Amino acid sequence: MNPHRLDAELLELGGGLEVLLQATLVGIKPDQQVDVTVLSRGTALELPGWARLHGHEVVDELDRGAGGYVVRLRRGHGERVLADGVAGHHDPPPIRPGGELHSSDLRGNGGVPEMVPRDVGFVPIGAVAEKGAPQFDWRLHRRDTIWAPEVADLAEQASGEQWDASRDIPWETARDLPEHIERAVAQVMTFIAQNEYAALYVPAGFLPQMHPSYAELLLWLSSHIYDEARHIEVFTKRALIGGYQGYALASTELSLHSLLAEHDFTAAALLLNVLGEGTFLDLLRFIERYAPDAATAAAARLAHRDERRHVHFGISHVRHVLANNPEQRAMLVHSAEQRAAKLTEMSLSPLLTEGLMILAAGSLRPRALSEGADAVRALMQTMERNRIRRLRSAGFDEIEAHLISDLHTPNLM
Amino acid sequence: MSPTSEITVGAVAYHPRVVTVWESFRDYFRDRGIPTDYILYSNYERLVQAVLESSVDIGWNTNTAFVALERQLGDEAQILGMRDIDAEFATVIVTRRGETFDRVQELADRRLALGSRDSGHAAILPLYYLEEQGLRAESIRKIIRFDTDIGKHGDTGDSEMRVVQAVAEGEADAGALGDATWARFRTEGLPAAAELEVSWRSPTYYHCNFTALPSFDLELAARWQAALLAMNYDDPSMRQAMTLEGVRNWLSGNRSGYKSLAAAMERESAAV
Repeated sequence: MNPHRLDAELLELGGGLEVLLQATLVGIKPDQQVDVTVLSRGTALELPGWARLHGHEVVDELDRGAGGYVVRLRRGHGERVLADGVAGHHDPPPIRPGGELHSSDLRGNGGVPEMVPRDVGFVPIGAVAEKGAPQFDWRLHRRDTIWAPEVADLAEQASGEQWDASRDIPWETARDLPEHIERAVAQVMTFIAQNEYAALYVPAGFLPQMHPSYAELLLWLSSHIYDEARHIEVFTKRALIGGYQGYALASTELSLHSLLAEHDFTAAALLLNVLGEGTFLDLLRFIERYAPDAATAAAARLAHRDERRHVHFGISHVRHVLANNPEQRAMLVHSAEQRAAKLTEMSLSPLLTEGLMILAAGSLRPRALSEGADAVRALMQTMERNRIRRLRSAGFDEIEAHLISDLHTPNLM
Repeated sequence: MSPTSEITVGAVAYHPRVVTVWESFRDYFRDRGIPTDYILYSNYERLVQAVLESSVDIGWNTNTAFVALERQLGDEAQILGMRDIDAEFATVIVTRRGETFDRVQELADRRLALGSRDSGHAAILPLYYLEEQGLRAESIRKIIRFDTDIGKHGDTGDSEMRVVQAVAEGEADAGALGDATWARFRTEGLPAAAELEVSWRSPTYYHCNFTALPSFDLELAARWQAALLAMNYDDPSMRQAMTLEGVRNWLSGNRSGYKSLAAAMERESAAV
């Protein structure tokens, strides 16, 4: 067979010749030959060393005088990358109207794999994994135990709805409130911030267990964690800006401690996303409505927007799991029972209910306080009604939904 | 299996990666039913002694170490294998751009930089081949030696780096180093290498090999060699170690590629 020909002109090693050589050699078979023409003798002299380094061989060298030098290379055996070759051109993901490229469109026809080997490492969607990479051991490697059909879109929304706790809140409006109001705000904000820590640590704990092949879930959990970081930030700032401190209550801590003890992804999604953050949606709405200042209202409104996504994920995930594996129903009820067994408090801390009443009342006048108490009672009823509605939406029947809702922590999260 | 039933290979620890390489090779030979352990030495002189005294069964020798071993042995040792890169090894002499030469005699009035004096490819063989082609070392205006990492026979590549830098910076006018080292410097973008070009390339010779004494059990040697030659660069579990060792294929090796170095070392010792 005649050798292939490659005119490298003025190129030399380190100056692009090696790139041209590799591009040529990758297209020919082992043992096939290529005649490389170079203009300088120095380049001809350095090619045998390069060829040996890369598993090829120079089999002939010819001085053509003014025509340059011809070095005949024989391609060696062995692949540069230990993997099935990358396919030829494929249909690229679609660009949506408005020029947007969405994560949920990256998978193409292959879809999301049902299961991936536990030991495979960081292989981006669509990439071909080289063999011989170090082995990992990802605990969460089965799609239907972690998936939610809308997860990619939810992560997409999270990117689009980022906000800034330093600049997007009208902080100057939170100065100089009456002392009793400000003390109530500081306590309620401290309570929320305290809960947001748990909301951060729970997804953060699952993130390093998540198989990298489920990139949509990595994006989702990362956004969840970042959302919670910002919630901790904004509610801590609001607690402090008025000049009073709140208590980080032990009963709250106990409830959150029991939440972190849950190591099953779906049970944690039920307890945190559906029940805890779901209940917080109603709490944040309440605070936004009765906030004594625009800063508190803005913080509650922006956090609510994020929490809605988290609740959406939780409901969608639990529904997905129950639809694929109905036996999980008993396990999830059990996890709610297990957690309830660890909780010793009978009701929400009086410091919290009092704080919420003062917010709703707007003063310590008896008539106003009476209305505030009504508002908090109504809030508790709303919370319960919505919890049951969300549990039903997640796939539990009426009896299960009531049972789980009743077992939910009086701490709200 | 008791340690005494293992084959022992001696190697020189010229870099921490040698441990990674031999841990992997150790597993490889064990999995093929021919348990092999390794012992590391800080220099090739000790390794050669260890082979001669049968402290180890096989030495992973540079060409210089191999020739020294046979000279001390006064006999032909067994060669059990070498890397593909060790066959067709060559030395190149580099000069600054535009200062190339056609005949080696043109080097006589220049300053020539060499690597470590115990390096076959960067010091001993370039002088030998230049003399073969008509340029005696004594007639070179100045020889500048970079005797770094003595005992490692040039394995670290440090002296070759200094050779290239010396020529680029004008401290020397020409410099000798291994052709594969040069190709690596060039493609890795070493700035000094970009300012130079190859002016001369030596005839080829062999470099490293696995050496055993003639008394080493021939059948055992054959089994060990068969396992070595079966090592596959396309085996994912071996690629990293083989890459670190700079080998894609193991060859059985023979003594035909050591004549020039043996003659050069003979000449050197006669001159002392």
